[in-house]
Amino acid sequence: MRAFDFVSAESADQAVSLLSEHGPNVIVLAGGTDILVDLKHAKHDPDVVVDITRADDLKGIEVNDEGLRMGALVTHTEIMDDPYIQENFPALVHAAHTIGAVQTRNLGTLGGNLVTCVPSMDSGPALMALEAEVTVAGPDGTRRMDLEEFFVGPRKTVLEHNEVLLDVIIPKRNLGKPTDFLKFGLRKGQALALVNAASALWVGEGNTFKDVKISLGAVAPTVIRAPAAEDFLEGREITPENMAEAGRLAVEDAKPIDDFRASASYRRDLIAVLTKRTLDNAYRLAQND
Amino acid sequence: MTDVTLTINGEERSASVPPETSLLRLLRDEFYLTGSKLGCDVGDCGACTVIVDGMPVNACLMLAGQVDGRDVVTIEGLATLEDLHPIQKAFEEFASLQCGFCGPGVIISAKGLLDRNPDPTKEEIKDALSGNLCRCTGYTKMIEAVQDAARILRGEKEAA
Repeated sequence: MRAFDFVSAESADQAVSLLSEHGPNVIVLAGGTDILVDLKHAKHDPDVVVDITRADDLKGIEVNDEGLRMGALVTHTEIMDDPYIQENFPALVHAAHTIGAVQTRNLGTLGGNLVTCVPSMDSGPALMALEAEVTVAGPDGTRRMDLEEFFVGPRKTVLEHNEVLLDVIIPKRNLGKPTDFLKFGLRKGQALALVNAASALWVGEGNTFKDVKISLGAVAPTVIRAPAAEDFLEGREITPENMAEAGRLAVEDAKPIDDFRASASYRRDLIAVLTKRTLDNAYRLAQND
Repeated sequence: MTDVTLTINGEERSASVPPETSLLRLLRDEFYLTGSKLGCDVGDCGACTVIVDGMPVNACLMLAGQVDGRDVVTIEGLATLEDLHPIQKAFEEFASLQCGFCGPGVIISAKGLLDRNPDPTKEEIKDALSGNLCRCTGYTKMIEAVQDAARILRGEKEAA
């Protein structure tokens, strides 16, 4: 690694002032599972690394008036171990479990996964299907936005050099909303998604799709929603045929590319299958409630 | 330079190192604890696995400054002068390792699992070891050794 200075922040406010003071060539260090690799490969050459792992106000999982709040520093293991999330959002537990392996899940953070913003991130789809919002802190205070607005492109979010992600909030109206997440990777451990997908839905009157939200990863520059598939399903009867048609429409919502992991054509097949299966699984969860 | 004071295998240790020093380099180059291996250096192979505040992590993915004040257990912290740790004994008894390079990381991952879950299923053992790459053995004998060590640690079986 090239030389840099290391400073540690004890709070989000302190992190923002350290970033402002040392910027713009600064980098925030949380779990480090991506950043340390980038530093070693000289993809980043910062003057200063600001460690935020001691900022306690960025930690913790709680249900408050707004909904479910997860601090940006919550690790993937903490999500898997949280009793409330286990009970209400098995899709989040499953998504966290598909990330890396034990060691990287113990280090890696939810916020880091979102901020690194690779299209195949496994934290994105379930949160986006649940219409999660994020809070960003900067020198002028905090701002709140939908997760979709937070993502800008591959490895690019709205964050300025002197801003940090504070937390992720699943709004109150979606607490306990039946949701499923599936990832298709080439191995169980240490594998990136070729495609991942999540669906969240309520069952409306007459066994119909209500407020159905579908999200896809690794098939566009960022994690995306699938509006054509969602619009088709809204208000329709819940049948295997309609789920399959939503899968076909979701393919049109995506822009998969050919790369060394999979071809675009293979990814299109996966989108249709994973969309259908996540809808089916979410519906099964709804029936068990 | 970054000044760090941390607990390693129950002993307080201090060092002053360049800020870009990883925890793994700190352990190996400053404290000569070379049991934790430098393999891929990017968090894929698990040969550098150590326990920080009770959780197995890749030592290559942490900076020294991040472990100031924290508690680290390495492979050197398991055996006593008289005796191997039950997991180490089981690995010996089951001939779970061949070249042995991955061994310290695997055994630390197994300890991390058994500390939190004394009676894991085979699937849970596989999951716990999925961040440790072994290119010699095929894992079967490691899994058997972890199951045996778990029985011994639970007091259901006498140590060999």
